[in-house]
Amino acid sequence: MTAEGTVTGGTCPACGEPVDAGDGFCESCGTELSPPVVSTGMPGYVLECPVCSVDPSTPPGGITADGYCESCGRKVPTGRDHAELDLGPLAGVTDRGLRHQRNEDAMALASAQTPFGPVAITVVCDGVSSSPRPDDASLAGARVAVQVLLAAARRDEDPAEASLAALHEAHEALRRLGTPSQAPSATYVSAVIDAAAVTLCWVGDSRAYWLAESGAIRLTTDDSVAEELVAQGSLTEAAALASPQAHVITGWLGADLAKPQPHLRRFEPPGPGVVLVCSDGLWNYRPEAADLAELALPAALTDPLGAAGTLLKFALDAGGMDNITVVLAPFPLARPQTLPRRTAQ
Amino acid sequence: MTQSGFTVDVDQNQYLPEGGRDVSAIVTVTSSADAGVPAAAAGTPASAEIIIIDCSGSMEYPHTKIAEARAATAAAIDVVRDGVWFSVIAGTNTAWPVFPPDGSMAIADASSRTAARQAVTGLRASGGTAIGQWLSLARRILGAYPAQLRHAILLTDGKNQHETPDQLQAALRECEGVFSCDCRGVGTDWEVGELRTISTALLGTVDIVPDPSGLAADFAAMMRSAMGKQVADVALRVWTPQHATLRFVKQVAPTVDDLTVRRTPSGPQAGDYPTGAWGPGESRDYHVGVEVNPAGVGQEMLAARISLVAGPPSAAEVLGQGLVRAIWTDDEALSTKINPLVAHYTGQAELADAIQEGLEARKQGNEEVATAKLGRAVALAHQSGNEDTAKLLAKVVDVVDVETGTVRLKKKVEDVDEMALDTRSTKTVRVKKAQS
Repeated sequence: MTAEGTVTGGTCPACGEPVDAGDGFCESCGTELSPPVVSTGMPGYVLECPVCSVDPSTPPGGITADGYCESCGRKVPTGRDHAELDLGPLAGVTDRGLRHQRNEDAMALASAQTPFGPVAITVVCDGVSSSPRPDDASLAGARVAVQVLLAAARRDEDPAEASLAALHEAHEALRRLGTPSQAPSATYVSAVIDAAAVTLCWVGDSRAYWLAESGAIRLTTDDSVAEELVAQGSLTEAAALASPQAHVITGWLGADLAKPQPHLRRFEPPGPGVVLVCSDGLWNYRPEAADLAELALPAALTDPLGAAGTLLKFALDAGGMDNITVVLAPFPLARPQTLPRRTAQ
Repeated sequence: MTQSGFTVDVDQNQYLPEGGRDVSAIVTVTSSADAGVPAAAAGTPASAEIIIIDCSGSMEYPHTKIAEARAATAAAIDVVRDGVWFSVIAGTNTAWPVFPPDGSMAIADASSRTAARQAVTGLRASGGTAIGQWLSLARRILGAYPAQLRHAILLTDGKNQHETPDQLQAALRECEGVFSCDCRGVGTDWEVGELRTISTALLGTVDIVPDPSGLAADFAAMMRSAMGKQVADVALRVWTPQHATLRFVKQVAPTVDDLTVRRTPSGPQAGDYPTGAWGPGESRDYHVGVEVNPAGVGQEMLAARISLVAGPPSAAEVLGQGLVRAIWTDDEALSTKINPLVAHYTGQAELADAIQEGLEARKQGNEEVATAKLGRAVALAHQSGNEDTAKLLAKVVDVVDVETGTVRLKKKVEDVDEMALDTRSTKTVRVKKAQS
């Protein structure tokens, strides 16, 4: 994952001049001080085989340039298979899960300090497995969108307009990856959290929830066959999710769509709680907001990275059938960290 | 020889069901059409050619045999390229150099070719057949010359009667890796199995020349092919993971040739399988079968890394590489898909076995087994579009139903037809590659 340019100790990492905690850029040299972080993974592969290094019957071997263990032949994980990002006010984890060959989810996180208080931003994209290069699609979408949202937050622009603009830019990025017949595609959900509200924008079936002791609710609706059947009143949610069509999505980003039809929602939290943004690798196992709140709270209020890890472990223990991405942001927001950010493989 | 002179393509279904162990892949190796001339020290010929002519007494019966053999040798000499080392030896129950008569090799040019043709006209037939002796002499002569490509053409018309099979085997073992050898049997008094053993060990071809008058054209074609070879001593290096078993490595096109027992260890978890010399634009297919220790669903494993290498094992140059992969899935639509190339070549290998076993059973008088095996062969040849083999089979059996492989053994079969079918049983046809 990338965390270059992280501010340490109140001085610019590039020129050493003092900087303000909330500055987006160094006043002296212009270096971006709190750049967004994206779950791109380290270039290359892990250095030792996770199987052979603990198996006494196989001598540990090196890792080849194409990512196989020289001893047991297993493909070793890339950095993208599991990534954790922690910006302080919000943190997230994404994981390959147990049944997929690669992680086709991507997440991007950013934070900014504005005259009206801190802003936390996250984008989660889930590559559509039936499309070509879904992992490239999700990463491209998340990476482009978070930059648009962060730039808008720093300029104090309307988060709703910024959210639609970011989704549009993400869509354009995916269109550049493919053609209408070969269209890398992804779901998309963004959350911009400021002092007053949470602004959500999405297509597809990646979700956002509000989790609080006082009551938990789902903030997004899915663009999926299951959701449409429930909306028509022809099926209960449980029956719809059990149907083979449950995961057929009806909205996404990609070159096979001329114009996406995004959903937009502004939510004003009634009190303290946590915003959860996740891919279906998590919510498949606990679609109900109250159930997710039970798993995440109260830890998520004070330790979003730890709680994200707890939710990931829950999804893996439940079967890990899909890629899993969990981002948590406690509300009201903490001030963005300017001290070293915690990033881990 | 250029580093990028070869391509290695792997065709397989990489998906295995949960707990699946068997990985099967077809590896297609192709040398580029413009692979360079082999590297050789300045002034040193890159190739050395030897022609081995059977001069046993039976070559006089009919008298045209030895005459055609002389003419064929002359035709082959005409095709030897300028600057190539060459010589001709004769064999009976012993062997002796014909040209140059001192047991050296001549460098081909207009005058040495004329002298060689002249020497060959003096060949007379008398004596026995000890092929091991012939091969040993060829090895001693070729071994003294530092050519990259060392090749022999061997012609015989009879069985190896004047030495034991062990003596032939011992001679073959010494020749392996020194030179390659294409074998031709003229007439019908020679043993298919015997010549196949020699051509297999020495990485060459074997065929029947039923009529002596066909020898000259065949010899010239073989020599032309030998002159076209440009990269010597190429091996398939196969790496497999810990706890995996390499079940087999077979050449499956243009002919079936099981290389499994030809393995030479070449490093941790790796072994080399010889493929001989390659000419430009040549393409061959190999079938590799690996049994692996299953990993979990969703995991990927490298089941084999296939490298094409040239040069000594210690400092081999890698000419190309392909990966055989295994991915475990719970999606049955993926794991049950049969790769068409793997299926095709599995059928072609079974076809060769069915013919050889069927002919053997027929020889032993076991008509029931012979009918079943040759019937199966007829069906397989038909299904795979191997028309040449189907035609050869039709000379040995009467086909009642080609689809089910229902056949009747012919009452009277010409020796030449039976031997042609046996010799060419390993010839395979290729299929057009499916889009993957």
